[in-house]
Amino acid sequence: MLDAFISGAHQVFAFDTLIYMLIGSIAGIVAAAIPGFTVTMAIILTLPLTFAMDPLQGVSVMLSVYVGGYTGGLISAALLGIPGTPSSVATTFDAYPMARGGEPGRALSLGVWSSFFGTVISTIVLIVAAPPLALLAVKLGPWEYFSLIVFALTIVASLVGNSLMRGLIAGVIGLGLATIGPDPMMGRPRLTFDSDLLMPGLPFLVVLIGIFAISQLMSEVEDHGKGKGSDALIPDVIEFKTWAVMREVLMRPVNLVRSSLIGVFIGALPGAGGSIANLLAYDQAKRGSKKPEEFGKGTPDGVIASEAGNSATAGGGLIPMIALGIPGSAVDAILMAALMVHGISVGPRLIMDNADLAYGMFVAMVVASLMMLVVCVLSMRLFLRVTDIPKQFIVPTVMICCVIGAFALNNRVTDLYLLGAIGLVGYGLKSLDYPLAPLVLGVILGPIAETNLRRALMSDADWTVFFTRPISAVLLAAALLSVIFSVRSVLKMRKKDRPATDEQDGD
Amino acid sequence: MTTPNGKSAAADASASAALRAKTEVARLISYIVFGLGSVYLSIRAGELPTSRWEPLGAGSFPKLVFAVLAVLCLIASVRAVIDIRKAGQLDGLAHAFGQWVKARRISFAMFGLLVVYLLALPVAGFSLATFVFLLITQLLIAGISKKTLIQSIIAALIFSVGLNILFAEVFNVFLPRGVLFAA
Repeated sequence: MLDAFISGAHQVFAFDTLIYMLIGSIAGIVAAAIPGFTVTMAIILTLPLTFAMDPLQGVSVMLSVYVGGYTGGLISAALLGIPGTPSSVATTFDAYPMARGGEPGRALSLGVWSSFFGTVISTIVLIVAAPPLALLAVKLGPWEYFSLIVFALTIVASLVGNSLMRGLIAGVIGLGLATIGPDPMMGRPRLTFDSDLLMPGLPFLVVLIGIFAISQLMSEVEDHGKGKGSDALIPDVIEFKTWAVMREVLMRPVNLVRSSLIGVFIGALPGAGGSIANLLAYDQAKRGSKKPEEFGKGTPDGVIASEAGNSATAGGGLIPMIALGIPGSAVDAILMAALMVHGISVGPRLIMDNADLAYGMFVAMVVASLMMLVVCVLSMRLFLRVTDIPKQFIVPTVMICCVIGAFALNNRVTDLYLLGAIGLVGYGLKSLDYPLAPLVLGVILGPIAETNLRRALMSDADWTVFFTRPISAVLLAAALLSVIFSVRSVLKMRKKDRPATDEQDGD
Repeated sequence: MTTPNGKSAAADASASAALRAKTEVARLISYIVFGLGSVYLSIRAGELPTSRWEPLGAGSFPKLVFAVLAVLCLIASVRAVIDIRKAGQLDGLAHAFGQWVKARRISFAMFGLLVVYLLALPVAGFSLATFVFLLITQLLIAGISKKTLIQSIIAALIFSVGLNILFAEVFNVFLPRGVLFAA
């Protein structure tokens, strides 16, 4: 293990890797500081740039974009009151009032330090938890694996978005899309309708770019002219008080550790990412606080909880990805796809077969969070200007980058036509309030689910084995429970809302 | 409910209920489309030959998946119909759809441009096609004036020619050169 650790660290600490990671950190912070530009999109755009790199180098760069991105959302959240990414919604609750109250520097520094400690704590949990989990997972048979994926998909569908039904439909559409093209075991073409376009199947990354990025860009230019963002109210002189604030954060160990652990746990659940952790950690900090009335008025505890919470999901999400080969979020799915592009099979054997890679990723997480810290402390002032870049430059340029990303994967022009078609479908789904994360996870988990299902039935054609093997049965029961629970909570909410005419649904 | 505030709140609530009913109609259509599509695909998948080596052939999993999708869509449609009947207020559906499209006119225009761009890419090559695409979309979003025109031309040049060079030289990714320039 130590060998692998050293070998991984050796690769990460190579000069060119560090330079690329630094650029990645800056790019992540900048991207997330732009309202409407999510961390997911930043990672998608980084991906084609990493094709030419070594696997570990590429993944390290993407991790630094990831870690930087979770912090970048803080900037516009604190200074403009607009969450730069969905994962910094709760950050606006206290960081913005604090900034408006004359302490913008303190708000930003608090956020940066909490993000840093959140990431480090989550990485520690990752290092401790992933290897034993993988050891356990290797012993799982195809029955357990199939049930695990069913469980993962129902969890995603019930946690993301406003409607369980649409979440499930999106997830199953994803599974269905993954069946187009050659079947994963025998390579027999399926549902291709003899079209050259569909013959190789739908490449995961093209689906991902179309579904997430193109649809997001299209909705960015909706309702043009209405509700132009208020002019940036960034004061010229900001006092960051870096070291004083570090002590301030460390003086609140309970809040910091609790929020980080919430982030790790939420991150490890498939589909539930930074946006949920951000709100949940904030909520728990408020409940646990002796002065809950100060929340929402600029209390440091609120900033620490929300930022430590969302940053800690980065390490949490890697736990199931590294240990089980099941991505915890759309971003982890992209990381997983990046490894697959490099010909590395992701699954419980990753940590055994490519130990240096897995341990290198742990090292890269720590390095990335350090870089984020240094970059933020030194040049936060510059990033504040990013929020001023007008949309007309960002949207078309990012769209071009999406096209390049989709093309660079296979150098196939037909992939671009797929990208256009999938982008339109994604935009339609987004407009109708279908959650998109389950769909993407469905596409990546589909072939794994199918392979395991068929393997299971090959060794024993009896379907009841899924219910008689204990772990498999527990996972299926958990899947059923997660559906029942979310149906129940929806019904409860409907009852409660009925007299007051529920307005919040559908946005 | 007699205060002016109460009245406007009630009006708001009924307006939002009407809006919800209309959104629900749009969703119902999507459920039906997905449902019918999945029934068709499930049947097509069932026609794939079974395997001699395993109980599940190539077709079984897609058949299963699309069947589940069809069932989910059926349940969702039934619930949507119930919701719509409860809410009523479906007058002005065409108008609402018009408004919906109008608010998204730039999105659709941009998508149209993207399609043209993707079709032109193999012919015109990356740099030229991208330059034209960027220029038009930037002006579409920002509006045409002397200032935006100059800004857009500069930005379009940087990101068309510049990206091409960056990818070719640094990342070894060669973007389409175009039939026009292939010789």
